[in-house]
Amino acid sequence: MDEWKPNPAVKPHKKRSWYLAWKYKLMNQRALRKLCQTGAVLFLLVTVIVNIKLILDTRRAAYEEEEESAQDYDDEMLNVEVPRHPVNNKKVLDVEVYSSRSKVYVAVDGTTVLEDEAREQGRGIHVIVLNQATGHVMAKRVFDTYSPHEDEAMVLFLNMVARGRILIFTIKDEGSFHLKETAKNVLKSLGSQVAPFLSWRDMWTFVGKKGGEVYGEKHAKSPALSTWGDPVLLKTEVHLTSVEDAECHWPDTELNRRRKRFCSKVEGYGSVCSCKDPTPIEFNPDPLKDNKVFDVPVAVIAGNRPNYLYRMLRSLLSAQGVNPQMITVFIDGYYEEPMDVVELFGLSGIQHTPISIKNARVSQHYKASLTATFNLFPDAKFAVVLEEDLDISVDFFSFLSQSIHLLEEDESLYCISAWNDQGYEHTAEDPSLLYRVETMPGLGWVLRKSLYKDELEPKWPTPEKLWDWDMWMRMPEQRKGRECIIPDISRSYHFGIVGLNMNGYFHEAYFKKHKFNTVPNVQLKNVESLRKDNYETEIHRLLGEAEVLDHSKNPCEDSFVPDTEGRVYVMFIRMEQEADFTTWTQLAKCLHIWDLDVRGNHKGLWRLFRKKNHFLVVGVPASPYSSKKPSSVTPIYMEPPAKEEGAVAVPAVAAAEQT
Amino acid sequence: MQKINRNVVLALLSLTSLVFLLFQLCYYKFYLSQKNGAAFSKVRGSQSGQDSTRWHVVRKFLGLISSHNIPVYLIDPLILGLVDKDIEQIRSSPDGPSPECKYFCAPRDFTTFALLDKTWKHEVGLFRTAEKMGFQWLKIINKDPRLDGMDDLSGMEIPLHYIFKLASHAIHLVVFYERSGNFLWHGPLRLKQHMDRKFVPFRKLHFGRYPGAYEKPDLLLVSIDDLKVQIPKNPSSFLEEMSHSRFLECRYREARAFFQLYPDDSSLDAVEFRKKAKSLLHLAALTLNNLGVKFWLSSGTCLGWYRQCNVIPHSKDVDLGIFIRDYKADIIPAFQKAGLPLKHKFGKVEDSLELSFQGEDDVKLDIFFFYEEDDHIWNGGTQAKSGKKFKYLFPKFTLCWTEFVELKVHVPCETLQYVEANYGLEWKVPVKTWDWKSSPSNVQDNGVWPVDEWDDVIQIY
Repeated sequence: MDEWKPNPAVKPHKKRSWYLAWKYKLMNQRALRKLCQTGAVLFLLVTVIVNIKLILDTRRAAYEEEEESAQDYDDEMLNVEVPRHPVNNKKVLDVEVYSSRSKVYVAVDGTTVLEDEAREQGRGIHVIVLNQATGHVMAKRVFDTYSPHEDEAMVLFLNMVARGRILIFTIKDEGSFHLKETAKNVLKSLGSQVAPFLSWRDMWTFVGKKGGEVYGEKHAKSPALSTWGDPVLLKTEVHLTSVEDAECHWPDTELNRRRKRFCSKVEGYGSVCSCKDPTPIEFNPDPLKDNKVFDVPVAVIAGNRPNYLYRMLRSLLSAQGVNPQMITVFIDGYYEEPMDVVELFGLSGIQHTPISIKNARVSQHYKASLTATFNLFPDAKFAVVLEEDLDISVDFFSFLSQSIHLLEEDESLYCISAWNDQGYEHTAEDPSLLYRVETMPGLGWVLRKSLYKDELEPKWPTPEKLWDWDMWMRMPEQRKGRECIIPDISRSYHFGIVGLNMNGYFHEAYFKKHKFNTVPNVQLKNVESLRKDNYETEIHRLLGEAEVLDHSKNPCEDSFVPDTEGRVYVMFIRMEQEADFTTWTQLAKCLHIWDLDVRGNHKGLWRLFRKKNHFLVVGVPASPYSSKKPSSVTPIYMEPPAKEEGAVAVPAVAAAEQT
Repeated sequence: MQKINRNVVLALLSLTSLVFLLFQLCYYKFYLSQKNGAAFSKVRGSQSGQDSTRWHVVRKFLGLISSHNIPVYLIDPLILGLVDKDIEQIRSSPDGPSPECKYFCAPRDFTTFALLDKTWKHEVGLFRTAEKMGFQWLKIINKDPRLDGMDDLSGMEIPLHYIFKLASHAIHLVVFYERSGNFLWHGPLRLKQHMDRKFVPFRKLHFGRYPGAYEKPDLLLVSIDDLKVQIPKNPSSFLEEMSHSRFLECRYREARAFFQLYPDDSSLDAVEFRKKAKSLLHLAALTLNNLGVKFWLSSGTCLGWYRQCNVIPHSKDVDLGIFIRDYKADIIPAFQKAGLPLKHKFGKVEDSLELSFQGEDDVKLDIFFFYEEDDHIWNGGTQAKSGKKFKYLFPKFTLCWTEFVELKVHVPCETLQYVEANYGLEWKVPVKTWDWKSSPSNVQDNGVWPVDEWDDVIQIY
């Protein structure tokens, strides 16, 4: 306002004369004049003050509005980012490793990174991989080398670990029984002096750098077969290298960023983290023509077996017609590494707080995963349910695309499954053939939303019931006589050998020799004949053309089936009523197929292949197909060898299949 | 001298005050025009700098998203409002060049677009391109409500809103998700601690104060102001829908706490009842929606939603509320056609109307009609044998959408007051014996029906 002052200096003269004239004319009283003037001054002053105040007010109001504008939108919750790993700038790491019969532990810089003193668990060689630059734990594995083939898995794992990483080994209980020469040599090549001579119940610890120096090794020999070696404790120091040396230099793309994030955190995934020639993490398989399952959500049920999950997702994402956006991985527990795998492939993952224990925990995880799947994809009529220990056939989605309309239209169907319980190398032949079966195989299957929402979800076993979800689903109260469609040659392969109900022996006996389709784009041939009534016609046609085998021979013998190809044969076994599977179980046992409970039957009929011939087994007289039996033929009866065996084995291991 | 001085001072003061007054007027005008530009700078044929900036930003944004094949559609209420006036013309000439910038130049701070989550991959490439084009962007993520109702699942957080800012204009991209119940949902916009609160004037956003529920829109590709853009086929009905779109999430956490205290009844009977109640509710919703009658969950059904996010298994019926102004004579025949015979009809349209339909196996559908007064809302009850009338009073409420048993339905937004009026402060405690004439805390005696009216107001089938 200052510059305005000199200017009005002229005006008052005019104003004054006019004012004075008027003033003098009207009243000459000085006091009154003075009062008027003071009044005017006061009034003006007040005006000025009010004006200034007003300006200030408007300004503040405007400012406040801006301030407030975001207030409604504040998140009420404070989101503090917690770093996933503590940052550590030290150059030297103190490492402590302990090995004993009942307890192992590993401490890095005073932080326990492994501690296992649970009974009946964690037997074998524990391996920990540390990042050579940061000292972070990148992998933790236990290989039960007391059991067969676990040493092979360990060799595979060690080969996949990048050069320069720090490896820590320690034995709990027993780790040498099935530790074969190859594995011992690999350990030797890492610098271990003791490994080649490790024997029964020895205790052993070892710390070394892959392809580099040895930081320490300790060993305690077991004095006798019945006792264990003394506990050993190894304390040593490890020198860290620079971060630059520990990383690869891939071109900067979106995919490689994911790869880098993954490879700096975890180990044991081999070529995906190879600096020179990393294996792709995006697969772009051929799309399927007229893909009817493109919009079907895929739920992958996972636990804490990240290397399994990695293998599974690779095969899934390589299958023709896969739609990565529909895939959700459900992880049972807050495990980081499975989530890292999910993120590596750019998929979405959901973690689930474990509820209950053992089988009930799996069962609750299934329920939560299925409910979430239908919540996330409210439009979906179906969901594909997979598990983390399955390989997925290249034509998995093609198989489903060709058959899914049956599940929509045929009320008598319970599911479509990619798995044939009886489809072993020697009993499955035709990739284009489908069956109807009364059992629910699981292991890669399609669930109808209405079945889940209207029937299964409301009465799903509660957490306190230690039931297997799949056994529960197979119960007549749930299945209500409905059937599943399965292929002759499975579209999934169960490779998991560690799991809740799974071990190496069991896997070898029942899963290893399972047939798995590797042919792409198989055209299924009998889809329409899978409908309820059509299937009966089809079976009658088959039985009509089938040649009756010689029932005087031993059905377990290879010679029972003639050396032909492409023929249809039928045999009749004794089956007094619907639930009499005595002879079938014995037959299954000697044919080396699934014999732990009854699978793959349809009205007392089993269909499989022997010597490339279609081989039908009819249970007489329970099966409605018994009428096809020529009167001259006496159904074969096979007696169970020992009376307990069958009775005990079924409940004990029936659950095993589900892992 | 003194006199002159005094007069000079006087004159000076009056001048200063005059100047102040002028200054203040200018300031006020400036402030106003900033606040709502529309008031002062009316849309002109020629594009002033500000106006064309908006158009350019929108054009750039549309270029960005089309280069990444992301299908978005326009939901900006301001522009849709303008478009709606000329909708016939726009529909009939989808490709005609426009002589003037009529819509995208209109003064505003934002242009709002919608994106269906399932139609795009969450790719990072988009944001890199956006940055190259000069956009600053902000992404608002939050928990996935579709997993909220589930025990202990934690998924990745999902993007709810994106804001792209260029020069003085910003694009608000609202992400819509499909929910069970066949509707679209968008989340609220909530800023996290570390976010830039002044990135844009958030308060002026049209979407984000509350979550919203919408029907899946039919889209129409149009060319307006020489830009090709998808809009809802019927802008006016979209705008109408928008004004009543507020969505309430069920209180899943409280429901879990409730079940901790009172474990859920998972007996076969309970499962069966819930199944029947759910299908009855679906049927009722279908019937009423077809008639265009607005309804909401009332009484026990509303309590079940609010307290336990589920049907109360021992409640034995399904209760709905309808404003009497929405009453249609077709309601009864429509339900009968849907296979739900009328069980009883109490009261009349002018007073205490209540309809009851017989669902499958003893599950009853009760429809109460609500009468609005100046300071409260009430519905009536009638005792068949005595002809006694009852009145249930509720504080005034508005309606919000929610998701319940895979259905998009209305509930009173002020649910707590509604439930408390009906069930008292003890509503959290399950009660198995309930007398509709005495138990509710908002019941009042309302006289007796005159005997000569009984035939009309008490009809039992």
